[in-house]
Amino acid sequence: MSIQWWQILILTLYAGYQVIDEIQFWSSLNTPIFGGLLTGLVMGDMKTGLVIGGSMQLMVLGIGTFGGASKLDANSGTILATAFSVATGMDATQAVSTLAVPVASLMIYMDILGRFTNTFFAHRIDAEVEKMNYKGIERYFVAGILPWSLSRMIPVFLALAFGGGLVAKVVAYLNGPLKWLGDGMSTAGAVLPAVGFAILLRYLPLKKHVSYLFLGFVITALLTTLFGNIQAIGTAVGSVVKNFSGSFNGLSMLAIALIGLALALINYSHASAMIESKGAAAVATAVDAKGEIEDDEL
Amino acid sequence: MTNYKLTDQDFRQINLRCLCGFELGWNYERMQGSGYLYTILPQLRKIYGDNTPELKEMMRVHTQFFNTSNFFNTIITGIDLALEEEQGVKAKDAVVGMKAGLMGSFAAIGDSIFGALLPAIFGAIAATLAIKGNPLGLVIWFIAQMGVILFRWKQLPWAYKEGVNLVTKMANKLSAVTDSASLMGIFMVGALVATMVNVKFAWAPTIGSVPLNIQNNLDMIMPRMVPAIIVGLVYWLLGKKGMTSTKAIFLVLILSVLFSALGVLAKG
Repeated sequence: MSIQWWQILILTLYAGYQVIDEIQFWSSLNTPIFGGLLTGLVMGDMKTGLVIGGSMQLMVLGIGTFGGASKLDANSGTILATAFSVATGMDATQAVSTLAVPVASLMIYMDILGRFTNTFFAHRIDAEVEKMNYKGIERYFVAGILPWSLSRMIPVFLALAFGGGLVAKVVAYLNGPLKWLGDGMSTAGAVLPAVGFAILLRYLPLKKHVSYLFLGFVITALLTTLFGNIQAIGTAVGSVVKNFSGSFNGLSMLAIALIGLALALINYSHASAMIESKGAAAVATAVDAKGEIEDDEL
Repeated sequence: MTNYKLTDQDFRQINLRCLCGFELGWNYERMQGSGYLYTILPQLRKIYGDNTPELKEMMRVHTQFFNTSNFFNTIITGIDLALEEEQGVKAKDAVVGMKAGLMGSFAAIGDSIFGALLPAIFGAIAATLAIKGNPLGLVIWFIAQMGVILFRWKQLPWAYKEGVNLVTKMANKLSAVTDSASLMGIFMVGALVATMVNVKFAWAPTIGSVPLNIQNNLDMIMPRMVPAIIVGLVYWLLGKKGMTSTKAIFLVLILSVLFSALGVLAKG
């Protein structure tokens, strides 16, 4: 199955939109999950898109744009991996590590190029400020949309339009003579979320709240084993007993999140009570901090 | 003292420009500098009047280097405009100092709350459901982000009215909120480690003629131990000098392929 022109068109337009959403609205339509969902729908296989998008989301949970540093473009990776996974019948987890991750990291260079190109517009704006040309200032500022969007749209378009043959060959190899590599890539796809979690822990105050890491892990590990075993029993019983109508769902992550929320709320009431009692002191330090910054300025 | 007072319509215009365009001009030289000018350009023109030397001076000031969290930047804008409206071009030094003083701290808080914590909590829920083929988690995340946009919309008039007081008040509230949200984030990471890293030991050596099922033995000690160990190792790896997240991702990718090929690990 090859990718149709209208599919290429929608996906290219989305690639341009998602980066603007990322730097402006942050509406969650910029996340790999939505990228996967949309690409999946466009390609006619929502499930594959959600699996690839979800895996990429977990991998980049803690990777934000800190101080304007370029980061992995997980979304462009998800678009291409989903499109080719559906088009060539590649296994979804395998597509994460063979396509999504390499694409996401190569796209870092396009991000740098886009941000670099914008420097040109910044100088045009300086010139317009001197001329007091308000329309000119605004025109060159809004033109910044071009480097941002095109830096994503061009590579995504080229890959979708011309990359199919190459990807099909890779898939044939991974399922044929290089099966060990294909299986390895699937395993890697399953391990990659672990990197996302570790990165996230590096950004969170782990030392202070390490007990909650254990709590979250142990509660979930025990319950997920329990639920998994009950499901297995349910299926087994269902295949033997005729009138068996029980249905067993897996562990609900939302329920686990609510336990976490409860713990966070308890902590919040303690923390705000502490701050209230130390109110005066806190204000004093805040003012101090400000004074310090102003000294720096002088 | 200038003659112009900002109206609700001005706030709406600034917010709209900020939400749709603040970072379009982001560049390596002065980052959000031109974006800062773009968001308040119509208001500067009203305060100083078109084609005045004061306007040119302040436009030059506002294209200088600026970079902060785009979730908090209008707080700085609000305080700035209150000052400029009151004192005109005389407020220049105070405005420059205030912008430089606040942008760093807001960048740090904004990145940790909106860049790490919210994705950790909502992204985790959405991704877990997505992998099972259910897009509902994304809807929850979308609603949460609409709340964030509302918060970004409201902070400009607050900051304009309350000035620097707001920063002190918010600093107190935010530290309690951030602390509790990080707690929940860490809890969620624990839960994710237990569910979302689906690999197991495939290596089953035979001692004499008895095959040793390592995975089953590990499960008896503590279920989901392999994922926990892997996350622990990567965490340790990330603390090494010169290690970046991209390097770590590729290192893990290569090692996973290697261990899978050797038959030690398998997708579970």
